[in-house]
Amino acid sequence: MMSVNSVGTKETLEGHYAGQRKPLFNIAVVTALLTTLTFGIYRFWAKTRLRRYIWSSISDGRDSLEYTGTGLEKFLGFLVAVVVLAIYLGVVQMGLYYLGLTLFTEPQTTEQAAMQSAALLITVLAVLPLVFFAKYRARRYKLARTRWRGIRFGAEKGAWGYAALAMFHWMVSILSLGLLLPWQTFRLERYVTDRSWYGDAPFQQGGKWTALLPMMGHIYLGLLIMLGGGALAAMMNLPQEGALMAGLGYFWFIAGIVLYRVKSFAYLTNTKALDGNIHFEAEIDTTALVATVFLGALAVLLISAAVYGALGAGIFFAMMPAVLMGQGAIFIGVILVIAGYLLATAVISSLALVWVIQPILHQIVDSITVHNADELNFIEQRSFDEGADAEGFADALDLAAPV
Amino acid sequence: MGPVTGSFFDGQHAGRHRVEVTLDEGAGTLIVTGPSLSAPLQWPLGRLRALEDLARDYSLTLTLHAETEDEAPRDPARLTIREPAMTARIREVCPDLRKRDLHRGTWRKIWTRSAMAIGAVVLMLFVILPRMADTLATLIPIEREIAFGKSVIAQMERALGATDLGDLRCDGAEGRAALDRMVARLTEGQDLQYDLNVQVFDHEMVNAFAAPGGQVVVMRGLIEDASGPDAVAAVLAHEIGHVEARDATRIALRAAGSAGLLSMVLGDFTGGTIAVVLGERIMQASYTREAEAAADVFALDMLNEAGVDSTGMAEFFDHIDGLQGDFKIPEYLSTHPASEARAERARDNAAEQGATTPVLSEAEWQVLKGICG
Repeated sequence: MMSVNSVGTKETLEGHYAGQRKPLFNIAVVTALLTTLTFGIYRFWAKTRLRRYIWSSISDGRDSLEYTGTGLEKFLGFLVAVVVLAIYLGVVQMGLYYLGLTLFTEPQTTEQAAMQSAALLITVLAVLPLVFFAKYRARRYKLARTRWRGIRFGAEKGAWGYAALAMFHWMVSILSLGLLLPWQTFRLERYVTDRSWYGDAPFQQGGKWTALLPMMGHIYLGLLIMLGGGALAAMMNLPQEGALMAGLGYFWFIAGIVLYRVKSFAYLTNTKALDGNIHFEAEIDTTALVATVFLGALAVLLISAAVYGALGAGIFFAMMPAVLMGQGAIFIGVILVIAGYLLATAVISSLALVWVIQPILHQIVDSITVHNADELNFIEQRSFDEGADAEGFADALDLAAPV
Repeated sequence: MGPVTGSFFDGQHAGRHRVEVTLDEGAGTLIVTGPSLSAPLQWPLGRLRALEDLARDYSLTLTLHAETEDEAPRDPARLTIREPAMTARIREVCPDLRKRDLHRGTWRKIWTRSAMAIGAVVLMLFVILPRMADTLATLIPIEREIAFGKSVIAQMERALGATDLGDLRCDGAEGRAALDRMVARLTEGQDLQYDLNVQVFDHEMVNAFAAPGGQVVVMRGLIEDASGPDAVAAVLAHEIGHVEARDATRIALRAAGSAGLLSMVLGDFTGGTIAVVLGERIMQASYTREAEAAADVFALDMLNEAGVDSTGMAEFFDHIDGLQGDFKIPEYLSTHPASEARAERARDNAAEQGATTPVLSEAEWQVLKGICG
């Protein structure tokens, strides 16, 4: 029953990304327009179409991933999430606010009054555990709707466990001023990897969290440069040089975050295994990737500026003659301006996906090698997972990014 | 036509089958054969479906329409063909390649879940949260409410430009005495739950507000613009109405409960923020309009009890109406009922009032006007 073309050899697969700017941009703009025109309802179908394109771009050169999620199931999942969240959030937020009120004492200064009012922000606590819960469930749904060679990926249930672990580690990371962030990165990744499957084959996360510690180096360096800039400005009385140095430090810091994410991703990929004997290797050119992020962001900025400029000019050229011609023409001019505005915002909302996210994905996918891939032939189908709420909670909490 | 080569995945195993694909238009089937397949497959053309939005659009990946329990009614098997003539022909002769099939009962599911979601949001916003807010507002210990109110006033002072607490408070001794006399005249014989703390702020805004716990603030601009002491008394009575109904606390609690509910429903799409802001404004306005109308009724009763002419109230609303000018906010967006209607109600009340006396003497009124020095 198996294909027999690779028996006896150790097969390796190379990742290949086939997606291009133009088709993705077209899908993104059209779906963004439809989403606005339907007051947001089309967003579930928009996300589905974007994912179908992106998933189908990822292959080993022969067989692509397939995204089988539907817009309809996302919409239905969202409706359920609305019922639960409306009740939960309404009651818990008001309860927390009431608690906050009972802590009030008479303020002596305006600062004190402002601080007391800030205490009412504890209502945010109502959402926090749900955010992590929703994130895990969204990931489980995405895996359950991803197939490769006709076989489903999947994840086990475990959203509450993930929420508890994530809350604990965020607290630890914040209390340690970010020093223990690698511990969080590793533990959360291991939690989800050890619950992920391809067909009947389980994924496993190996490695140690301490290996991630040195990868934070450039983040600290960036922070140091920023602090140095501040010191230069404050103590040496060199505000211009200080600001320059702090600016440099800021960019260094951002690059440091990108580097940390890339390096930790590579390490965590290299220490993953599928079915015990299929291994992965990510060889990412980190400098090229950081360059991609910065150049991509720059491109987004420049194109956005150009689009707004064009919109301004368009408004001027549509409205000037209309105003001169009077009533009816003004109406047509206004319609034109609204159409132009909608198109411009749809274009701008699509830029990040096309100029930053897809290029990053491209580089990462191209850098991945699967070793011992002949073992894949023995993997069998797993049963259908209804996919929790089909991302409904994540969508209601505005967490569900397309990729 | 065919055969051409293709790759086939049976949906049970991850192994690839190399297959030969033949299109038999006469029989209306696609025939798939291969050494690793136990028997040739016959796929009816009418049930063929293609995957859409593929990045590699030169290849055609086919599946079958089938009643499965999966997310879409599709067979798990996949057949991929790249040969251009074959893919073109299949696209031509298969009418339903792009058809979206739904599971049975999908529409019923859509309707029931939509109804449930809308029902839950409406029930929360208009029944449960308001009730909860009303109950919690009566449960809060009075000293906490007073502290909260003072905190609100302090915030307000800061927003109006005070650098230190108390900067804006007007406390000319004689003016203060006149104000106290006005409050005493209004509240005499009334059984109020709160000790009133009425203050005047040195600000030109024509406004007054009630914070939780009996805190009432009147702006200097309102006193200066008022037609006489009766108008100021009417405004005070209105704010006392808010105090007694605990409106500020109730509305703050409601707002906390409903925060984010609308943005949750609408999501963050382009233009969504505007929709959310507008929606929240309409909701908030409908809450407060109710409270305003109730405070008006309370104020008229209070004026009648105290024997103060409600013509002052009517004049005040006329004045507000004039300030708004020709451009009026539509009522559903406004936090207050239309001023004309409020003026009219006050005039109707005045027509039926018994004997009235001015709330302050002319001399006292002049003193009150100078309370900010």
